[in-house]
Amino acid sequence: MSQPLIDLVNISKSFDGELILDDLNLSVKENSFVTLLGPSGCGKSTTLRIIGGFTMPDQGKVIFNGEDITRMPPNKRQLNTVFQKYALFTHMTIAENIAFGLKIKGKSKDYINDKIKYALKLVNLDGYENRSVELLSGGQQQRIAIARAIVNEPKLLLLDEPLGALDLKLRQDMQYELIRLKNELGITFVYVTHDQEEALTMSDTIVVMNQGYIQQMGTPEQIYNEPENAFVADFIGESNIVPGIMLHDELVEIFGAKFACVDKGFGNNTPVDVVIRPEDIDLVEPEKGTLEGVVTHLIFKGVHYEMEVTTPDGFEWLVHSTDMFPVGKKVGIHVDPFDIQIMNKPASEDEEAVGVNE
Amino acid sequence: MNKNAKQVLSFPYIIWMVGFTVIPLLMVFYYGLTDRSGTFTFANVMAIMAEDHMKALLLSLAYSVVSTIICLLIAYPLAMILRTRNIGTGSFVVFIFILPMWMNFLLRTMAWQTLLEKNGVINSILSFLHLPTLSIINTPAAIILGMVYNYLPFMILPIYNVLAKIDNNVINAARDLGADSFQVFSKIMLPLSVPGIISGITMVFVPALTTFVISNLLGGGKILLIGNVIEQEFTKGSNWNLGAGLSIVLMIFILISMTLIAKYDSDGEGTAF
Amino acid sequence: MNKLKRFFQDFYLVLVLIFLYAPIAVMMVLSFNSSKSRSQWGGFTTQWYREMFESPVIMEALYNTLIIAFLSALIATILGTAAAIGISSMKKLPRTIFMGINNIPMLNSDIVTGISLMLMFVAFGVSLGFKTILFAHITFNVPYVMTSVLPKLKQTSKYTYEAAMDLGAGPIEAFFKVVFPDILPGVLSGFLMAFTMSLDDFIITHFTKGAGINTLSTLIYSEVRRGIKPSMYALSTVIFVTVLALLLITNFAPSKAQMEAKAAAAAASGKKPNNWGPKLYKAVLVATSFLIVCGISYTTYRHFDNSNSDELYVYNWGEYIDESVIEQFEEETGIKVTYDMFETNEEMYPIIEAGAVQYDVVCPSDYMIQKMRENDLLMELNLENIPNLEYIDQTYLEKSQSFDPQNKYSVPYTWGTVGIIYNTKRLEELGIEPPTKWSDLWDPRYKGEILMQDSVRDAFMVALKMQGHSLNSTDMTELEDAKNLLLDQKPLVQAYVVDQVRDKMLNGEAAVGVIYSGELLYLQEEAELLELDYELKYVIPEEGSNVWIDAWVIPYNAQNKENAEKWIDFLCRPEIALKNFEYITYATPNIGAFEMLDEETQNNKSVFPDDELLESCEVYQYLGTEADDMYSALWKEIKAQ
Repeated sequence: MSQPLIDLVNISKSFDGELILDDLNLSVKENSFVTLLGPSGCGKSTTLRIIGGFTMPDQGKVIFNGEDITRMPPNKRQLNTVFQKYALFTHMTIAENIAFGLKIKGKSKDYINDKIKYALKLVNLDGYENRSVELLSGGQQQRIAIARAIVNEPKLLLLDEPLGALDLKLRQDMQYELIRLKNELGITFVYVTHDQEEALTMSDTIVVMNQGYIQQMGTPEQIYNEPENAFVADFIGESNIVPGIMLHDELVEIFGAKFACVDKGFGNNTPVDVVIRPEDIDLVEPEKGTLEGVVTHLIFKGVHYEMEVTTPDGFEWLVHSTDMFPVGKKVGIHVDPFDIQIMNKPASEDEEAVGVNE
Repeated sequence: MNKNAKQVLSFPYIIWMVGFTVIPLLMVFYYGLTDRSGTFTFANVMAIMAEDHMKALLLSLAYSVVSTIICLLIAYPLAMILRTRNIGTGSFVVFIFILPMWMNFLLRTMAWQTLLEKNGVINSILSFLHLPTLSIINTPAAIILGMVYNYLPFMILPIYNVLAKIDNNVINAARDLGADSFQVFSKIMLPLSVPGIISGITMVFVPALTTFVISNLLGGGKILLIGNVIEQEFTKGSNWNLGAGLSIVLMIFILISMTLIAKYDSDGEGTAF
Repeated sequence: MNKLKRFFQDFYLVLVLIFLYAPIAVMMVLSFNSSKSRSQWGGFTTQWYREMFESPVIMEALYNTLIIAFLSALIATILGTAAAIGISSMKKLPRTIFMGINNIPMLNSDIVTGISLMLMFVAFGVSLGFKTILFAHITFNVPYVMTSVLPKLKQTSKYTYEAAMDLGAGPIEAFFKVVFPDILPGVLSGFLMAFTMSLDDFIITHFTKGAGINTLSTLIYSEVRRGIKPSMYALSTVIFVTVLALLLITNFAPSKAQMEAKAAAAAASGKKPNNWGPKLYKAVLVATSFLIVCGISYTTYRHFDNSNSDELYVYNWGEYIDESVIEQFEEETGIKVTYDMFETNEEMYPIIEAGAVQYDVVCPSDYMIQKMRENDLLMELNLENIPNLEYIDQTYLEKSQSFDPQNKYSVPYTWGTVGIIYNTKRLEELGIEPPTKWSDLWDPRYKGEILMQDSVRDAFMVALKMQGHSLNSTDMTELEDAKNLLLDQKPLVQAYVVDQVRDKMLNGEAAVGVIYSGELLYLQEEAELLELDYELKYVIPEEGSNVWIDAWVIPYNAQNKENAEKWIDFLCRPEIALKNFEYITYATPNIGAFEMLDEETQNNKSVFPDDELLESCEVYQYLGTEADDMYSALWKEIKAQ
């Protein structure tokens, strides 16, 4: 595991003069499940297409298994892609679709037939060999697209928002299915999505991207609990991002109230952004809280209540709690020190975009 | 509107079709299967076996097959190129290839005479460049050229339409699965564009097979096609029965192409417009 | 590598576009050519544009073309859209049958469609004319509308219709407010397609058109034989440039917002929009309505100009009259002339015979007059109504007796001989003496240099005369010999043409050609104008030739016999005959006109040959159906070889 399976080095790409990727570096370890996550237009799909070979980078190198494959055409690359809208061959049966890559490689008939059976079984569609693609449901088409890719035993499977077109229930099922497949096959997955929940559920590593830069890379827990900037915090889950002043190590002032925290090294009296997840806010009796506010909104969400608490400065705090506080009730806000995440304020928008990528 | 009320909307056209498509065709059969005195006979249809007619038919078949193939060979790469270009928006392509039709068909074809003649435009240019001159006017080559020229748009448009509908990711998927450029073409593009090709072929083949104008204008009257034979029976020979009989033979070929279309293009995907 | 590929792609695109647009460019250039010739540049002129607007024949044809295209497209669009909606709710089987029949006119060859419609119209006694063309055009237009409406209809969600009803719209309101806007692009492109198809159609119109009506296509076809008038090129150029300009302006200069929206849409869907932009429809609709309005106002003006109930249907050869003569006749008599043209006697005959079109006065040739007379297709003339007959030279009335024994049915209009025209310079180059007899046309040195007449009788005349037989021979062995001779000659022949001999000789395309003497004056004039470095000379071959007479007759079913006689009388007036002679340059039998000619023309033996020269020449006679069939069978053999 000394060397990464795929290594993107200083990749830049622009379309029609618009910079899509700017000097991007990314390493993917063998046998990992890496998710590229970000809003549309952030460059995640372009990154995937560069790995797949469908788009040539303007600058930089793509290293696969130690070999420079930047200029290698896609048909020579030992990786496969599952496309956004499946891109199945409508003029072929399901078996022919799955056999396509194997036939081109000149595999024997028996081998191909075994592989088709195996792959269909793997995606829970045994017996579908001779059906026509057009008669399948979206979820079934998705499985076929996956089966078509994995029979080629690629070292790396690229998935471009493969679940985007499916409905919620099906999407959840397929998420588990994909994890199972990855574990059974031992293939490295690079997965592109704009759905943060999907990313958190499935990945070993999440790469959050925005405007052509990597904002943060880490395990789902790191990304969720310790967002490195406001963009990540905002994009991943719900959060309260409030301006604060770091008075000194382990003490931050928010709207005039002092909160104990665990962060250090920001200097004294430094303006910062403070991230607090809604489920980390405890509502207590007014006098017991650090800040005082009034419940202005209440919705029952099943697992918890969602409330809005307005503090005298006018900020509306989003709070998730299993305890219910009726609208109009005065409450106190309390946050445990380790639930407070402190981030440097970006000096400019550019810097915000660059994030940790320097 | 409920279903029945909706169906009523098609009644005027159904009546129209009966009056102006079905009955006229029956008239062709009536004339074709009777002689001048109105007695039933197969003679007019069997007249196709006469040497002159057979020869004209075979010539027509040969020319139309050749010009259909040439059209296909020109149109397919063109449609492929248009597909990859941003200028290849549907309206622009249709625009470019329909536009010549606003210049009259006969004049367009006549203009080829001016281009191809011994002292015509092309030869003037060639001799100015000290190149050997062409002498194809009044030859089969000129007729085929006229057919290709006039019917090429009917090949380009349906092929372009099916090609433009192919998702780029389908091609990417094939390359991803190891297909090289040729395999992408032969295993993906070509099979997916079959409806367009079939529709293009029939739209070129049928009019080329039956034309009499192009052979008249560019063939110097030396080459008799089946269309010329039929036209002359109606306008000069005044044997309408024979003309109708030979038309019945032509319709057999048209029937074949309709069957082909129905088989390969059941969704109407490959229509030109 | 990629750049190279792109270069080749561009190169290929450009090549195809050149191929498609070269003929159009040629026509545009020709529309400014001061020479009438198709292939000689005589200098720049805008004369043809002026002539085009002044020519009632062209303007009438334009009006017909546009109004038929517009009406047929409109009706076809209504029929087709309604039908498309109707069949979308049909069951599979009736639907398949429906679509099958619907596709017939589109897939069937034009010639069969045209013939089938003509047969039906004739069988049901519908007289061929404006409405038959309109019906025919609607018939072949509907399928085009259907093919562009059906896919749109398929894409339309039925829920939007239901949603509209849910929001309180009635069924019809819901349709027009919700469904119709959805399928509108398809409907419009269907309309446009239908309009274009109708505009460009020739074959179906050719078979279904009747008297006194021409569309641009049929008018051009009737001119093809004698050389198309450059004003046709001018007209086509105007139409083409108008459409092109409007399309360019509206299609390629969209507002910024639209461009952005378009780019965004394209980026989002990754798909190319596959319909004509709405701007395009508008442009074309504007263009067509503009043209139609122009056409309508012009022809309405013309109609009012000659508004009267007196009518005359004239059926004459193409380019066989000075058009101002027609106008003069209309002005003088107040009779509205409907003027129609044919190219060959054989084409004219069945039309008169079928009676689908009722002409009042026709101008066939000698043998055809005999045939018509023998088949009771002619009415006797009331000579009292034609006092100007006195100006017709007795010689020609005598000659006419070979086909009209008592001069009861016909009044000679033009006459001439058939001979050989040759290009002096080309002959020198080939090292051949000028031809003097028909058999010279079998000289192998002429390979590819001979233009023969593309008509049965004229072709056989050459071979029969050469053998010393009568050109009215019905002897099978003589005809077989003639056929074999013509077959021997075929490899030497460059082309079988009719009136194109004129243009081709003028252009130096061939060394020798068989031609009607009447073309000669025109040719020599034009050759002088163009300052050609070669001379075109005419000879009546020693073996003898055909002397022909074209004469006016009145068909049996004429509705306006007196007007027809007025017409004939008018044309016999010396100054009118002179005017026509100067225009068509075919020899006139009118003494009055002849005497007004300058001496040079009077003495031109090629145009007005001496009696001795004429001695060996014969007039064609009608040989009967059997001989006709024999001739055409033999001719077909020659052509098919």
